[in-house]
Amino acid sequence: MTRYIIRRLISVIPTLLGVTIVIFLFLRLIPGDPAVAMLGEHAATENVERIREQLGLNRPLFLDPEALEDGDVKGFLDTQYIRYLGRLSRGDLGDSIHRRVPIAESLKERFPATAELALTAILVGAVVGVVAGIVSAARRNSAVDTVTMVGSLAGVSMPIYWLGLMMIMVFAVMLHWLPAGGRISPATELETVTNFYIIDSIITGNWEALVDCTKHLILPALALATHPMSIIARMTRSSMLEVLQEDYIRTAHAKGLRERVVLFRHGLKNAFLPVVTIIGLQTGVLLAGAILTETIFSWPGIGKWIYDAILARDYPIVQGGTLLIAFIFVFANLLVDVSYAFLDPRIHYE
Amino acid sequence: MTQQSMSGQDGELGEVGFTDFAVREHRSLWGDAWRRLMSSTTGRIGLAIVLFFVVVTVLAHFFWEYDPRIDLDYSLKFVPPTLRPTEEVPSIHPFGTDKLGRDIFRRVVHGGWNSLRVGIYAVGISLSIGGFLGLLAGFYESMPLNQMGRLILFGGIALLFGALSAWIAGLWFQVLLFTALGVAAALLDELWVGKPGRVALFAGLGLLIGAVPALLVSPMTAVVCGLLGLIIGATVALPLSGPLVSAIIMRLMDILLAFPSILLAIAIVAMLGPGLNNGMIAIGIVGIPIYARLVRSSVLTVISQEYVTAGLAVGVGQARILIRHIVPNTLSPIIVQSTMGLASAILWAGALGFLGLGAIPPEPEWGAMLGESYRYLTSGSWWAVVFPGLAIMLIVLGFNLLGDGLRDALDPRLQV
Repeated sequence: MTRYIIRRLISVIPTLLGVTIVIFLFLRLIPGDPAVAMLGEHAATENVERIREQLGLNRPLFLDPEALEDGDVKGFLDTQYIRYLGRLSRGDLGDSIHRRVPIAESLKERFPATAELALTAILVGAVVGVVAGIVSAARRNSAVDTVTMVGSLAGVSMPIYWLGLMMIMVFAVMLHWLPAGGRISPATELETVTNFYIIDSIITGNWEALVDCTKHLILPALALATHPMSIIARMTRSSMLEVLQEDYIRTAHAKGLRERVVLFRHGLKNAFLPVVTIIGLQTGVLLAGAILTETIFSWPGIGKWIYDAILARDYPIVQGGTLLIAFIFVFANLLVDVSYAFLDPRIHYE
Repeated sequence: MTQQSMSGQDGELGEVGFTDFAVREHRSLWGDAWRRLMSSTTGRIGLAIVLFFVVVTVLAHFFWEYDPRIDLDYSLKFVPPTLRPTEEVPSIHPFGTDKLGRDIFRRVVHGGWNSLRVGIYAVGISLSIGGFLGLLAGFYESMPLNQMGRLILFGGIALLFGALSAWIAGLWFQVLLFTALGVAAALLDELWVGKPGRVALFAGLGLLIGAVPALLVSPMTAVVCGLLGLIIGATVALPLSGPLVSAIIMRLMDILLAFPSILLAIAIVAMLGPGLNNGMIAIGIVGIPIYARLVRSSVLTVISQEYVTAGLAVGVGQARILIRHIVPNTLSPIIVQSTMGLASAILWAGALGFLGLGAIPPEPEWGAMLGESYRYLTSGSWWAVVFPGLAIMLIVLGFNLLGDGLRDALDPRLQV
């Protein structure tokens, strides 16, 4: 088991290296010189040169054969990409072009906002999706089943950017029930500890802020949860249907167990594996989907930050944010793989 | 009744039509699938929605002229939906008008052309590249390489890494030498198999090819190139085979899959510059690994079937097996995935347009229309946002329903 986890961890390394190469190239292939972008169009040539030198932009991309010719092995490897990897290993994602602040710092501040949104969404999506899936599998071809299936198909087909706008229109503009955007009302004060506002307001016992934050969270979390909820419901249903045909389910019914026990203890336990996969995969997808949701709801997380950075052509931010999300995505998948072993003792890893 | 007696009677009683009940009317595979599709409600509704959109869009594109560059009328800014002309608004706007006074109905109808185009091109890109890679990966994972395949694999590996060495040394003829080494290793695959002598021979040759010419440049270059040559030589000396091809392809796909799709699409568009064509390319690239994985796994299923083994046993060539027996049998999952792929491509294209990275205004595109108008939602002009989004949702729903129906129709075994 431990050996399997170690091997799986090692197998992630080439993928992560590939990801860094793609993201590194992404920044280098974008038209325009980052040094000019920092200094503006009319900067003096020697200033541009100095910045290029500082940023290492005058070095070759991957390897430097010329340095090798002079017998300089260190120079051979002292290139943009290797330097980039070196900075990454120190947790340095570079500076924002416009604000000149370290990107890693800002990511740390903004990540809790995105995580709060995404975790709430996956929680809602998983709970509602799994329950709906089980019920519609247990009551196959009933009205509940039809509603769930039609609803989930509509959910999968829903452009979440549009759904979010419709929610704002109905619940914020027309009914005035919930706020249209942001994480917290400007008037509400909250002492931040973890930057997870819900947790912060509970820790500090600030109930007014808790209500306010929750209100702000409902719409974006629901919009973000729509896709995973539908996908999880469909997956749970088909997985449950397969399991419910097994003999041991009939046996369980025959010996007079209650319906709920049969469904959850015998059914769901065995049908859960594909559902876990989907939940794991969707967590990564959610982080990316947050770009759209956060933009619509002015949610100050990583997604909105990346979007603003794209518009402002502040590409180091795009690079850093993308890298973070891709890494989380890779590790979420890894976690799913490893969790199989715990969930299903039938699976042996050699 | 035995076969023989039946055919005997058939000859005698042909006119009576005796065989009618015994021999089923001939139905082709596709005809059967069509029947099943038509008998399912989801399939019918999906097909109806898709057909409706396709027909309306194509008709509008060819018979209803629209030039977005000159469509502008500030006097009709944000007119709510009207079905009857009034004194203030003499024209009819069933979906209202947007911030530039453009008729939203007209733009929604014309926007369909762009959405369908993006969907078809993007799926075309993902399917052709991903399908090809998946086919290669699945096929060579379970088939021994033939001589031609070995030549390409060994030569290719040697060429790729040889090029690296040649680039470091600045001596391009090294590429030729390394490729020759790879080809030699492929041709001499019987020589000292499994003995350390084989590895030593090729690694030694690689060392010589790498180091000796590089001595012309500098001693340090010779050391690095020699090392590279050693590795190349040792690699091609190994009994490399099909699973390696598959592993290389699938690892590359894993890297693409490591990015959440919308994020990768955004990054690619940021790199290429905004625009509908670049959006298509981005969405197409994002879809490649999905098709590669799907095709690989269906090829792996098909290849283990008896008819493939039988084909191989009677000496059918690999290319013929691949084209005549494997490809046709992987078609149904591909068709289903492509239909659903159209849905997600349209959805993502809308997302790119919404973020201002897709179609460039004033080009009518549903996502871009949403992006242009959503800021005015709070001031009450809901119609500019409702209708384009509704169009996206409906067509995506149509393709998803059709895909669901097709899955049940094409592969009844999968039906739950």
